[in-house]
Amino acid sequence: MLGLTSDINWETLSKHLIDSENNIVEVRQLVRYHAKQLSMGIIDQTRITTAVSELLRNMYNYGGGGEVLIEKGIVDDKISLIITCTDHGSGIEDLELAMSDGYTSGNGMGYGLPGAKRLVDRFEIKSELNMGTIVRVMKWK
Amino acid sequence: MSKEYNIDKIAERINRIEDVLASVAAGDLDARINAEAEDDLSGIEAAIDLLIDDLTDELKQREKMQKEVEDKLSKIQEQQKTILQQQADLLELSSPVSKVWDNVLILPVIGTLDSQRTQVMMENLLEKIVETGCTISILDITGVPTVDTQVANHLLKTVTSARLLGAECIISGISPAIAQTIVHLGIDLSTIKTKATLQDAMIFAMKQNKRSENVKLQSLFTSSDEKEE
Repeated sequence: MLGLTSDINWETLSKHLIDSENNIVEVRQLVRYHAKQLSMGIIDQTRITTAVSELLRNMYNYGGGGEVLIEKGIVDDKISLIITCTDHGSGIEDLELAMSDGYTSGNGMGYGLPGAKRLVDRFEIKSELNMGTIVRVMKWK
Repeated sequence: MSKEYNIDKIAERINRIEDVLASVAAGDLDARINAEAEDDLSGIEAAIDLLIDDLTDELKQREKMQKEVEDKLSKIQEQQKTILQQQADLLELSSPVSKVWDNVLILPVIGTLDSQRTQVMMENLLEKIVETGCTISILDITGVPTVDTQVANHLLKTVTSARLLGAECIISGISPAIAQTIVHLGIDLSTIKTKATLQDAMIFAMKQNKRSENVKLQSLFTSSDEKEE
Protein backbone atom coordinates (compact mmCIF):
# COMPACT_ATOMS: atom_id res chain seq x y z
CA MET A 1 0.00 0.00 0.00
CA LEU A 2 1.14 3.52 -0.69
CA GLY A 3 2.77 5.44 2.10
CA LEU A 4 4.28 2.51 3.96
CA THR A 5 8.00 1.85 4.04
CA SER A 6 8.82 -1.19 1.99
CA ASP A 7 11.72 -2.86 0.28
CA ILE A 8 11.81 -5.71 -2.21
CA ASN A 9 14.90 -7.07 -0.51
CA TRP A 10 13.04 -7.92 2.67
CA GLU A 11 12.88 -11.60 3.31
CA THR A 12 9.48 -13.07 4.16
CA LEU A 13 9.75 -15.24 7.27
CA SER A 14 6.12 -16.27 7.54
CA LYS A 15 2.54 -15.36 6.81
CA HIS A 16 -0.51 -16.08 8.92
CA LEU A 17 -4.23 -15.76 9.00
CA ILE A 18 -5.78 -14.47 12.20
CA ASP A 19 -9.26 -15.79 12.79
CA SER A 20 -9.26 -16.92 16.40
CA GLU A 21 -7.73 -16.07 19.74
CA ASN A 22 -5.48 -19.12 19.50
CA ASN A 23 -3.90 -17.74 16.33
CA ILE A 24 -2.90 -14.65 18.26
CA VAL A 25 -0.95 -16.66 20.80
CA GLU A 26 0.64 -18.76 18.07
CA VAL A 27 1.81 -15.79 16.01
CA ARG A 28 2.99 -13.99 19.11
CA GLN A 29 5.19 -16.92 20.03
CA LEU A 30 6.55 -16.96 16.50
CA VAL A 31 7.40 -13.26 16.65
CA ARG A 32 9.29 -13.87 19.86
CA TYR A 33 11.12 -16.73 18.18
CA HIS A 34 12.12 -14.61 15.19
CA ALA A 35 13.22 -11.77 17.46
CA LYS A 36 15.40 -14.23 19.30
CA GLN A 37 16.78 -15.49 15.99
CA LEU A 38 17.84 -11.91 15.20
CA SER A 39 19.64 -12.02 18.56
CA MET A 40 17.52 -9.29 20.12
CA GLY A 41 17.73 -9.01 23.90
CA ILE A 42 14.96 -10.25 26.16
CA ILE A 43 13.61 -6.73 26.63
CA ASP A 44 13.37 -6.05 22.89
CA GLN A 45 11.84 -9.50 22.37
CA THR A 46 9.18 -8.72 24.95
CA ARG A 47 8.53 -5.29 23.45
CA ILE A 48 7.97 -6.41 19.89
CA THR A 49 5.95 -9.42 21.04
CA THR A 50 3.69 -7.26 23.17
CA ALA A 51 3.28 -4.67 20.42
CA VAL A 52 2.29 -7.37 17.94
CA SER A 53 -0.07 -8.83 20.51
CA GLU A 54 -1.84 -5.47 20.74
CA LEU A 55 -2.11 -5.16 16.97
CA LEU A 56 -3.41 -8.70 16.55
CA ARG A 57 -6.00 -8.17 19.24
CA ASN A 58 -7.18 -4.98 17.59
CA MET A 59 -7.35 -6.78 14.30
CA TYR A 60 -9.31 -9.66 15.81
CA ASN A 61 -11.63 -7.57 18.00
CA TYR A 62 -12.37 -4.67 15.68
CA GLY A 63 -11.21 -5.65 12.19
CA GLY A 64 -12.80 -9.08 12.09
CA GLY A 65 -9.46 -10.83 11.76
CA GLY A 66 -6.90 -10.49 9.00
CA GLU A 67 -3.42 -11.39 7.87
CA VAL A 68 -0.01 -10.99 9.39
CA LEU A 69 3.25 -10.90 7.49
CA ILE A 70 6.54 -11.34 9.30
CA GLU A 71 9.62 -10.11 7.42
CA LYS A 72 13.28 -9.58 8.03
CA GLY A 73 15.22 -6.84 6.34
CA ILE A 74 17.39 -3.76 6.47
CA VAL A 75 15.70 -0.52 7.56
CA ASP A 76 17.90 2.56 7.89
CA ASP A 77 21.01 0.35 7.75
CA LYS A 78 19.78 -1.73 10.66
CA ILE A 79 18.68 -5.35 10.65
CA SER A 80 15.01 -5.29 11.54
CA LEU A 81 12.02 -7.43 12.13
CA ILE A 82 9.08 -6.05 10.17
CA ILE A 83 5.56 -7.09 10.99
CA THR A 84 2.60 -6.05 8.88
CA CYS A 85 -0.96 -6.56 10.02
CA THR A 86 -3.73 -6.16 7.48
CA ASP A 87 -7.43 -6.34 8.12
CA HIS A 88 -10.42 -5.67 5.93
CA GLY A 89 -12.66 -4.32 8.64
CA SER A 90 -14.48 -1.04 8.88
CA GLY A 91 -11.30 1.01 9.15
CA ILE A 92 -10.49 3.73 11.67
CA GLU A 93 -12.49 6.91 11.40
CA ASP A 94 -10.18 9.24 13.26
CA LEU A 95 -6.58 8.02 13.29
CA GLU A 96 -5.39 10.81 15.54
CA LEU A 97 -8.00 9.95 18.12
CA ALA A 98 -7.27 6.21 17.84
CA MET A 99 -3.61 6.92 18.42
CA SER A 100 -4.21 8.92 21.60
CA ASP A 101 -3.84 7.41 25.04
CA GLY A 102 -6.94 6.28 26.79
CA TYR A 103 -9.30 6.37 23.85
CA THR A 104 -11.14 3.17 23.03
CA SER A 105 -14.00 2.45 20.70
CA GLY A 106 -14.63 -0.85 22.45
CA ASN A 107 -14.18 -1.82 26.07
CA GLY A 108 -10.40 -2.01 26.14
CA MET A 109 -8.10 0.26 28.08
CA GLY A 110 -7.32 2.49 25.14
CA TYR A 111 -3.59 1.96 25.23
CA GLY A 112 -3.33 -0.62 22.46
CA LEU A 113 -2.29 1.43 19.43
CA PRO A 114 -0.37 4.24 21.19
CA GLY A 115 1.24 1.67 23.48
CA ALA A 116 2.31 -0.49 20.55
CA LYS A 117 3.77 2.60 18.92
CA ARG A 118 5.93 3.31 21.94
CA LEU A 119 7.15 -0.28 22.04
CA VAL A 120 8.60 -0.38 18.52
CA ASP A 121 11.23 1.60 16.60
CA ARG A 122 8.96 2.50 13.71
CA PHE A 123 5.21 2.48 13.48
CA GLU A 124 3.22 3.11 10.34
CA ILE A 125 -0.53 2.98 10.00
CA LYS A 126 -2.89 3.44 7.14
CA SER A 127 -6.63 3.12 7.34
CA GLU A 128 -9.47 3.62 4.97
CA LEU A 129 -13.11 3.69 5.99
CA ASN A 130 -14.89 0.47 5.08
CA MET A 131 -11.72 -0.81 3.40
CA GLY A 132 -9.58 -1.85 6.32
CA THR A 133 -6.43 -1.01 8.18
CA ILE A 134 -2.76 -1.76 7.67
CA VAL A 135 -0.27 -1.40 10.48
CA ARG A 136 3.44 -1.97 9.90
CA VAL A 137 5.79 -2.05 12.85
CA MET A 138 9.57 -2.43 12.84
CA LYS A 139 12.00 -3.25 15.56
CA TRP A 140 15.72 -3.26 14.99
CA LYS A 141 18.60 -4.56 17.01
CA MET B 1 -8.27 -61.35 -51.70
CA SER B 2 -11.05 -60.38 -49.41
CA LYS B 3 -12.22 -62.23 -46.35
CA GLU B 4 -15.74 -63.37 -46.11
CA TYR B 5 -17.82 -61.65 -43.56
CA ASN B 6 -20.95 -63.01 -42.14
CA ILE B 7 -23.15 -59.94 -41.74
CA ASP B 8 -25.39 -61.58 -39.15
CA LYS B 9 -22.37 -62.67 -37.10
CA ILE B 10 -20.95 -59.16 -37.19
CA ALA B 11 -24.25 -57.58 -36.22
CA GLU B 12 -24.40 -59.98 -33.28
CA ARG B 13 -20.93 -59.02 -32.15
CA ILE B 14 -21.68 -55.33 -32.42
CA ASN B 15 -24.79 -55.92 -30.37
CA ARG B 16 -22.60 -57.68 -27.81
CA ILE B 17 -20.27 -54.66 -27.67
CA GLU B 18 -23.24 -52.37 -27.15
CA ASP B 19 -24.56 -54.57 -24.37
CA VAL B 20 -21.22 -54.63 -22.55
CA LEU B 21 -20.82 -50.87 -22.85
CA ALA B 22 -24.34 -50.41 -21.56
CA SER B 23 -23.73 -52.60 -18.54
CA VAL B 24 -20.43 -50.82 -17.78
CA ALA B 25 -22.23 -47.53 -17.99
CA ALA B 26 -24.81 -48.94 -15.60
CA GLY B 27 -22.06 -49.72 -13.12
CA ASP B 28 -21.22 -53.36 -13.79
CA LEU B 29 -17.45 -53.22 -14.05
CA ASP B 30 -17.05 -56.98 -14.44
CA ALA B 31 -18.66 -57.03 -17.89
CA ARG B 32 -16.22 -57.86 -20.68
CA ILE B 33 -16.62 -58.72 -24.37
CA ASN B 34 -14.11 -61.58 -24.34
CA ALA B 35 -13.95 -61.93 -28.10
CA GLU B 36 -13.13 -65.36 -29.45
CA ALA B 37 -12.58 -64.80 -33.15
CA GLU B 38 -9.39 -63.23 -34.52
CA ASP B 39 -10.25 -60.62 -37.11
CA ASP B 40 -10.50 -56.86 -37.70
CA LEU B 41 -13.34 -56.43 -35.22
CA SER B 42 -11.59 -58.36 -32.45
CA GLY B 43 -8.99 -55.59 -32.20
CA ILE B 44 -11.70 -53.14 -31.30
CA GLU B 45 -13.26 -55.61 -28.91
CA ALA B 46 -9.95 -56.18 -27.15
CA ALA B 47 -9.31 -52.44 -26.95
CA ILE B 48 -12.70 -51.87 -25.36
CA ASP B 49 -11.99 -54.63 -22.82
CA LEU B 50 -8.67 -53.00 -22.00
CA LEU B 51 -10.35 -49.64 -21.59
CA ILE B 52 -12.85 -51.15 -19.18
CA ASP B 53 -9.96 -52.72 -17.25
CA ASP B 54 -8.23 -49.35 -16.93
CA LEU B 55 -11.44 -47.67 -15.91
CA THR B 56 -12.05 -50.30 -13.24
CA ASP B 57 -8.55 -49.85 -11.85
CA GLU B 58 -8.93 -46.10 -11.80
CA LEU B 59 -12.25 -46.26 -10.03
CA LYS B 60 -10.95 -48.70 -7.44
CA GLN B 61 -7.96 -46.46 -6.81
CA ARG B 62 -10.19 -43.49 -6.35
CA GLU B 63 -12.47 -45.35 -3.98
CA LYS B 64 -9.47 -46.38 -1.94
CA MET B 65 -8.20 -42.84 -1.78
CA GLN B 66 -11.58 -41.51 -0.81
CA LYS B 67 -11.77 -44.02 1.98
CA GLU B 68 -8.33 -43.01 3.19
CA VAL B 69 -9.30 -39.34 3.17
CA GLU B 70 -12.47 -40.11 5.05
CA ASP B 71 -10.52 -42.13 7.60
CA LYS B 72 -8.07 -39.30 8.09
CA LEU B 73 -10.87 -36.80 8.39
CA SER B 74 -12.62 -38.76 11.08
CA LYS B 75 -9.31 -39.17 12.90
CA ILE B 76 -8.73 -35.42 12.77
CA GLN B 77 -12.24 -34.77 13.99
CA GLU B 78 -11.63 -37.09 16.88
CA GLN B 79 -8.38 -35.32 17.69
CA GLN B 80 -10.10 -32.00 17.55
CA LYS B 81 -12.68 -33.26 19.99
CA THR B 82 -9.90 -34.34 22.33
CA ILE B 83 -8.20 -30.97 22.02
CA LEU B 84 -11.39 -29.12 22.84
CA GLN B 85 -11.97 -31.40 25.81
CA GLN B 86 -8.42 -30.84 27.01
CA GLN B 87 -8.76 -27.11 26.58
CA ALA B 88 -11.81 -27.19 28.79
CA ASP B 89 -9.96 -29.35 31.32
CA LEU B 90 -6.96 -27.05 31.21
CA LEU B 91 -9.14 -24.06 31.84
CA GLU B 92 -10.23 -25.59 35.11
CA LEU B 93 -6.83 -26.94 36.02
CA SER B 94 -4.92 -23.80 35.28
CA SER B 95 -6.55 -21.63 37.88
CA PRO B 96 -5.86 -23.30 41.20
CA VAL B 97 -6.30 -21.05 44.21
CA SER B 98 -4.65 -22.33 47.35
CA LYS B 99 -4.38 -21.10 50.87
CA VAL B 100 -0.71 -21.11 51.79
CA TRP B 101 -0.74 -19.36 55.15
CA ASP B 102 -3.16 -17.88 57.62
CA ASN B 103 -5.09 -15.29 55.72
CA VAL B 104 -3.04 -15.68 52.51
CA LEU B 105 -4.23 -17.10 49.19
CA ILE B 106 -2.03 -17.77 46.18
CA LEU B 107 -3.15 -17.93 42.58
CA PRO B 108 -0.33 -18.82 40.19
CA VAL B 109 -1.17 -17.81 36.65
CA ILE B 110 0.59 -19.67 33.85
CA GLY B 111 0.29 -19.11 30.12
CA THR B 112 -1.99 -16.74 28.31
CA LEU B 113 -4.78 -14.80 29.92
CA ASP B 114 -7.68 -14.60 27.53
CA SER B 115 -11.11 -13.39 28.51
CA GLN B 116 -12.50 -16.84 29.12
CA ARG B 117 -9.65 -17.87 31.35
CA THR B 118 -9.71 -14.65 33.29
CA GLN B 119 -13.38 -15.24 33.95
CA VAL B 120 -12.70 -18.71 35.40
CA MET B 121 -9.71 -17.41 37.33
CA MET B 122 -11.64 -14.52 38.79
CA GLU B 123 -14.55 -16.71 39.81
CA ASN B 124 -12.22 -19.21 41.49
CA LEU B 125 -10.39 -16.49 43.37
CA LEU B 126 -13.50 -14.66 44.54
CA GLU B 127 -15.17 -17.86 45.68
CA LYS B 128 -12.09 -18.86 47.60
CA ILE B 129 -11.85 -15.42 49.22
CA VAL B 130 -15.41 -15.72 50.46
CA GLU B 131 -14.94 -19.33 51.49
CA THR B 132 -11.73 -18.85 53.48
CA GLY B 133 -12.18 -15.28 54.60
CA CYS B 134 -8.59 -14.54 53.61
CA THR B 135 -7.81 -10.86 53.24
CA ILE B 136 -4.61 -11.13 51.23
CA SER B 137 -4.33 -12.85 47.87
CA ILE B 138 -1.23 -13.08 45.74
CA LEU B 139 -1.54 -13.30 41.96
CA ASP B 140 1.72 -14.69 40.68
CA ILE B 141 2.25 -14.00 36.97
CA THR B 142 5.76 -15.44 36.66
CA GLY B 143 4.36 -17.90 34.13
CA VAL B 144 2.74 -15.28 31.90
CA PRO B 145 5.17 -14.55 29.05
CA THR B 146 3.34 -11.58 27.55
CA VAL B 147 1.42 -8.87 29.34
CA ASP B 148 -0.43 -6.70 26.86
CA THR B 149 -3.20 -4.23 27.57
CA GLN B 150 -5.84 -6.94 27.57
CA VAL B 151 -4.01 -9.04 30.15
CA ALA B 152 -3.35 -5.93 32.26
CA ASN B 153 -7.01 -5.00 31.99
CA HIS B 154 -8.03 -8.46 33.16
CA LEU B 155 -5.61 -8.29 36.07
CA LEU B 156 -6.94 -4.87 37.08
CA LYS B 157 -10.51 -6.14 36.99
CA THR B 158 -9.61 -9.17 39.09
CA VAL B 159 -7.85 -7.01 41.67
CA THR B 160 -10.74 -4.56 41.81
CA SER B 161 -13.33 -7.25 42.33
CA ALA B 162 -11.23 -8.91 45.04
CA ARG B 163 -10.97 -5.54 46.74
CA LEU B 164 -14.75 -5.25 46.71
CA LEU B 165 -14.81 -8.44 48.78
CA GLY B 166 -12.38 -6.92 51.24
CA ALA B 167 -9.27 -8.76 50.08
CA GLU B 168 -6.09 -7.04 49.05
CA CYS B 169 -4.43 -8.40 45.92
CA ILE B 170 -0.70 -8.43 45.38
CA ILE B 171 0.65 -9.13 41.92
CA SER B 172 4.04 -10.80 41.92
CA GLY B 173 6.40 -12.23 39.35
CA ILE B 174 6.74 -9.19 37.12
CA SER B 175 9.97 -9.58 35.18
CA PRO B 176 12.12 -6.54 34.29
CA ALA B 177 11.19 -6.94 30.62
CA ILE B 178 7.49 -7.00 31.41
CA ALA B 179 7.84 -4.05 33.78
CA GLN B 180 9.37 -1.96 31.00
CA THR B 181 6.76 -3.09 28.53
CA ILE B 182 3.92 -2.13 30.85
CA VAL B 183 5.41 1.35 31.30
CA HIS B 184 5.80 1.82 27.55
CA LEU B 185 2.28 0.67 26.92
CA GLY B 186 1.23 3.43 29.29
CA ILE B 187 -0.73 1.20 31.64
CA ASP B 188 -1.10 2.58 35.15
CA LEU B 189 -0.78 -0.20 37.70
CA SER B 190 0.06 2.17 40.53
CA THR B 191 -3.18 1.39 42.30
CA ILE B 192 -2.10 -2.21 42.67
CA LYS B 193 0.48 -3.57 45.07
CA THR B 194 3.11 -5.31 42.94
CA LYS B 195 6.22 -7.27 43.86
CA ALA B 196 9.07 -8.64 41.76
CA THR B 197 9.01 -12.17 43.13
CA LEU B 198 6.60 -14.48 44.88
CA GLN B 199 8.95 -14.45 47.84
CA ASP B 200 8.70 -10.68 48.20
CA ALA B 201 4.95 -10.94 48.00
CA MET B 202 4.90 -13.63 50.72
CA ILE B 203 7.11 -11.52 53.01
CA PHE B 204 4.84 -8.54 52.44
CA ALA B 205 1.77 -10.66 53.17
CA MET B 206 3.31 -11.98 56.42
CA LYS B 207 4.16 -8.46 57.59
CA GLN B 208 0.67 -7.34 56.76
CA ASN B 209 -0.67 -10.30 58.73
CA LYS B 210 1.44 -9.45 61.75
CA ARG B 211 0.37 -5.84 61.65
CA SER B 212 -3.30 -6.72 61.56
CA GLU B 213 -2.78 -9.18 64.43
CA ASN B 214 -1.08 -6.45 66.45
CA VAL B 215 -3.92 -4.10 65.73
CA LYS B 216 -6.37 -6.77 66.83
CA LEU B 217 -4.42 -7.41 70.03
CA GLN B 218 -4.15 -3.70 70.73
CA SER B 219 -7.83 -3.18 70.26
CA LEU B 220 -8.45 -6.15 72.52
CA PHE B 221 -6.24 -4.60 75.24
CA THR B 222 -7.71 -1.16 74.91
CA SER B 223 -11.23 -2.47 75.08
CA SER B 224 -10.44 -4.51 78.22
CA ASP B 225 -8.70 -1.45 79.71
CA GLU B 226 -11.77 0.58 79.07
CA LYS B 227 -13.89 -1.99 80.84
CA GLU B 228 -11.68 -1.83 83.93
CA GLU B 229 -12.03 1.90 84.10
